Amino acid sequence: MTHIRPAHDVVGRPTPLIDGIEKVTGQAHYTADLPAAGALVGRILRSPFAHARIRAIDTEAARALPGVHAVITGEDCDQTYGVLPIAMNEYPLARGRVRYCGEPVVAVAAVDEATAAAALRLIRLDVEELPAYFTAAEARTPDAVLLHDDKPGNVERAVHHRFGDVEAGFAAADLVREQVFRCAEIAHAQMELNAALVSYDHDRDQLTIWSTTQVPYYVHLMLARCLGMDMSRIRVIKPFVGGGFGARVEVLNFEIITALLARAAGGTVRMVLSREGTFLTHRGRPETEIRLKLGMMRSGRLTACACEVIQRGGAYAGYGIVTILYAGALLHGLYDIPAITYDGWRVYANLPPCGAMRGHGTVDVRFAFESLLDSMATEAGLDPIAVRRANLLAAPTETANGLRVESYGLGECLDWVEQASGWRERRGRLGAARGLGMACSHYVSGAAKPIHWTGEPHAVVHLRLDFDGGLTLLTGAADIGQGSSTVMAQAAAEVLGVHLDRVRVVAADSMLTPKDNGSYSSRVTFMVGNATIDAARALRERLLAAAAEKLGVAVTEVEDSHEHFRRAGDNAAGLSFAEVTQAALAREGGAITVKGTFSCPLEFQGGKHRGGAVGAAMGFSYAAQAVEVSVDEDTGMVAVEKIWVAQDCGFAINPLAVEGQMQGAVWMGMGQAIGEETRYENGLAMHASLLDYRMPTSVESPPIDVHIVESRDPNGPFGAKEASEGALAGFLPALINAIADAVGLRLDTLPATPDRVLEALAKRQRAARLARAMQERA
Amino acid sequence: MQDTQGTPEVRVFRLNGRPHAALVADHVLLLDYLREQAGLTGTKRGCDGGECGACTVLIDGRPRLACLTRAQECAGHDVETIEGIGAPGRMSALQRAFHERLGTQCGYCTPGMVMAAEALLRRDPDPDEAAIRAALGGNLCRCTGYVKIIEAVHDAVGTPR
Amino acid sequence: METLPPFRVATPATIAEAVAAAQESRAARFIAGGTDLMVNLRHGIGAPDVLIDLRGIVDLHGVWTDLAGTTVGAAVTLAELAGDAALAARYPAVAEAAAAVGAPAHREAGTVGGNLCLDTRCVFYNRSAWWREANGFCLKHQGSVCHVAPTGTRCHAAFSGDLAPALLVHDATVEIAGPQGLRRQALDALYAEDGAAHLRLAPGEFLTRVILPADSARSAYAKARARAAIDFPLAGVAVALRAEAGRVAALRVAITGTNARPLLLAGTEALLGAAVDVDAAWLERLGKLVQKQVQPMRTTLLAAQYRRRVAAALAQRLAATLAGAASQAHAA
Repeated sequence: MTHIRPAHDVVGRPTPLIDGIEKVTGQAHYTADLPAAGALVGRILRSPFAHARIRAIDTEAARALPGVHAVITGEDCDQTYGVLPIAMNEYPLARGRVRYCGEPVVAVAAVDEATAAAALRLIRLDVEELPAYFTAAEARTPDAVLLHDDKPGNVERAVHHRFGDVEAGFAAADLVREQVFRCAEIAHAQMELNAALVSYDHDRDQLTIWSTTQVPYYVHLMLARCLGMDMSRIRVIKPFVGGGFGARVEVLNFEIITALLARAAGGTVRMVLSREGTFLTHRGRPETEIRLKLGMMRSGRLTACACEVIQRGGAYAGYGIVTILYAGALLHGLYDIPAITYDGWRVYANLPPCGAMRGHGTVDVRFAFESLLDSMATEAGLDPIAVRRANLLAAPTETANGLRVESYGLGECLDWVEQASGWRERRGRLGAARGLGMACSHYVSGAAKPIHWTGEPHAVVHLRLDFDGGLTLLTGAADIGQGSSTVMAQAAAEVLGVHLDRVRVVAADSMLTPKDNGSYSSRVTFMVGNATIDAARALRERLLAAAAEKLGVAVTEVEDSHEHFRRAGDNAAGLSFAEVTQAALAREGGAITVKGTFSCPLEFQGGKHRGGAVGAAMGFSYAAQAVEVSVDEDTGMVAVEKIWVAQDCGFAINPLAVEGQMQGAVWMGMGQAIGEETRYENGLAMHASLLDYRMPTSVESPPIDVHIVESRDPNGPFGAKEASEGALAGFLPALINAIADAVGLRLDTLPATPDRVLEALAKRQRAARLARAMQERA
Repeated sequence: MQDTQGTPEVRVFRLNGRPHAALVADHVLLLDYLREQAGLTGTKRGCDGGECGACTVLIDGRPRLACLTRAQECAGHDVETIEGIGAPGRMSALQRAFHERLGTQCGYCTPGMVMAAEALLRRDPDPDEAAIRAALGGNLCRCTGYVKIIEAVHDAVGTPR
Repeated sequence: METLPPFRVATPATIAEAVAAAQESRAARFIAGGTDLMVNLRHGIGAPDVLIDLRGIVDLHGVWTDLAGTTVGAAVTLAELAGDAALAARYPAVAEAAAAVGAPAHREAGTVGGNLCLDTRCVFYNRSAWWREANGFCLKHQGSVCHVAPTGTRCHAAFSGDLAPALLVHDATVEIAGPQGLRRQALDALYAEDGAAHLRLAPGEFLTRVILPADSARSAYAKARARAAIDFPLAGVAVALRAEAGRVAALRVAITGTNARPLLLAGTEALLGAAVDVDAAWLERLGKLVQKQVQPMRTTLLAAQYRRRVAAALAQRLAATLAGAASQAHAA
């Protein structure tokens, strides 16, 4: 499937996004921008209680307020929803019990914002408060009240995986070290506020939703379930979406609530959440504690790894089971480690639910791993890059937990980072309080097994050719800014040998486009890309057949390139694309629509152990990065001066977009490493604004040099793998390793905010003072 | 006096180069006026007030946040939004640079980012990297790490406006 | 989405008109750039019936300099102030502080008067109406408990304007207009150490001008914040230092972000007379003065203790730099 045509005319070239012009001119319409004349305004009343039994909700006054068209509560929907069929334990509006501050309890639709707000103020909640737990440890105490009756100990899922003999590995090691690391919970903070527009046609019992989603299909499924509607009566449209990063993979409560409101009001309802409401909807990366033990030989070879992970998942299941499985599964697949044990606990707490976030499940564990590896390298007197080199995999291979690694460019990534950062010459010679650190990371190119196993292909693309010679590519894949529509257009144009602008992409409208499993786990380029190639090849065959007939030669004799068809070796005029289109349409009886599909073969779908499907993929991206920092020892400020990152993305279909994704990924890692964190005070979010949730500004963001390594994966489209998640995780440990290089301080808790850094420096100073005093006394 | 609260009045200003009469109550934010009444949805809402820069517009050529500005206070002034900078088919050099250099990914911060950069380039036609970073300091972007945004503004330097 | 309460905007053209407009209503508020007040109004803090926009008053604009000093109109924007090269040469800390506020769009809107009269800030206060109600409100607004210090009786919200400390170290005076006419007082006297009532302004009073006396001290401003833009100061420190004959002859230090008011450090006279090539012990004494007087509380997400430490560190750094420059000048 790799090399379709000898010349890469369209793929492999830096290509501006096919929908970029709309974005830079303000013409791109996001959900909140859609014309909605006469639409009602939807608003949500959120629970002010972290944990409480609902005794009664008085909505009478709100319903009586002029201008209020609908008021709904948990009574109006008795269906749970959730992303995992095995763990749907959330209602769109709380029923019987609220489990976190901010949980939707009542929703109203009214003629305008002011009326909707006034209606919310008239609603009275009568509750009995219950004990609330804000840490995993509190929630796990033996006498804790259960958030969900079927989950003893408030543990949503415990995972215990054993691969190889770790005890033997530790016994054989020259150096064994164990350390505990902590990472704060973080949020996606996508720039676009969560929003939905829902139109309900009472006469036809039909519903159309425009929403800020990464997976229109999940929205479709859950609306049908929660509204009790036949799926054919629902249309899901994804307009321009202002980022997702995993926040919008799951269907979210406001989407279902807006639909319920539209049906209750019998009209159109627009719901635009505030930034606070968007933060409270959450689904971010959970607070995580990692206890990690590594064994290493004098040579740097790793012998064993034992890892325990506790994730504080929030009040509902969401993606939790997958997150805790990912955390263990991707201990494998980056390095060659003979024995790995993993024990993970996903714990409920009375906080907004966590979910999937870029680098799903793997980031905090990678921080722990690469930090400990680095400090052990230092202790053993080994160069950190050399230690990574000593543990490289050799592709193709299969890991102990059944991950198949078919392509592996980590060695080349390390080579480039070492050279570009001046590692050998500069490290340790940067002067006072300045340092270099590095780390590696990896990620899946599409979860191999779909969440909903329907027997359908994993990706389907339609490609249509009509009289105008325009190629219309129909895909359910959601472009959320990552540029997937551009990649699909490139892939189709490449296979067909046509100009890129001959291809128009229609994406993510359930009435027009085939179902897609959505934009998550970096699956779109790999899976939908392969399906696109499949469709384009099918169409090309039809064009070649038509051209052969018209030219009066055998199909095998036809040569096509640059929208031109001729008999091979014949310099005569040949046929234009328009002529061949006409011939093909005449031959086929009108417009041609072909279908392309792709599915991950069963042997790539993971190990046989329980949870073995999570982490499995047909390809893995690999990244190495070096980070240069300076530390202000008076203020505790850590300045990231520069980042060098190399990533093996298999093949860069759009190198411009790959660079952008890599920069965005390491930068997002930087945000987590230096400043971002959610905070709760008795369950109330303290971070729910863009002042308090401190994502970096342009001023303190560093230059980021990127290098693309192309290992040409045998199964990827044109050899491509993922490019937008793999580099993120490496930033966190690279920063911590750089701080260690700069000031000799090893932080085990993220983010490295100035107060934490200064406190750690002060603590070290106090310890040194104490040690001196003890010495003097002795 | 009480009864005049919330009553719309006509406010006259220039909007994207043309005289504009807005019928708007004093407490209406410029952001809401532009999006809901003037139909100019290029100006985005990204926060609950003054935190993200997505609603950056130009008033008398200077960058301002439409989410903290009332439509009323624009009376007599010159308001420019992303729609006034250029449109598909006639993009400004700056917009073209953002497009071609991938200074936009999801695109949500882009209008505000372009407006902040536009304000900078009108004031300082040849800014260095530090000046560009400072000028965009109030405009948060979650996709790009700002690298290609800075490159795009660099690219637009020296091109005719 | 928080909706704004309906209000009317008055646009007086003179100080007298503004004073009169304020007297027509009990719930009127003065406004200029609105970067602070509009956010609070969106959060349901306050519901004025009238906003009196002071920016149309010609007398509140302009920066004038003569031998006696410099006068700055209260409606001068922070961007104008930051870009005033002459002012930056005379009072470097003032220009630096203006340039350190928020981000460019905030500085284009925000004014000198607005920044000096900035409301105090606290993580329990700068929140949505839903949030504050869920938390039982707070002493500063609609509630009776300070969540920062629940056993105390006063509000600990922190003053977070950047400009005040820079003006304090240059001994600024403010001119205030009100029903009783114009009055002048030291800027220091504008503030009180109470987060819920930190401005000593009578009803209907507003700032019209800031007057900076001629000053040969060199000054500088430094701001600790998690991010290099947008953020309010975790601690902001201004230092003005004058040297005579190789000795520290004048030293003023003022701090924002740590107390309910901008704090002019007391006791700096004990540090005068030292040789301008100040030593570690001198800096240690300065640091101790700062640590003793600042009172950061849990009003920010970053640790209060950090703000105490960093205020001292920045004061030491600025003083050392200014003394170093004076020392070099003396040697030359």
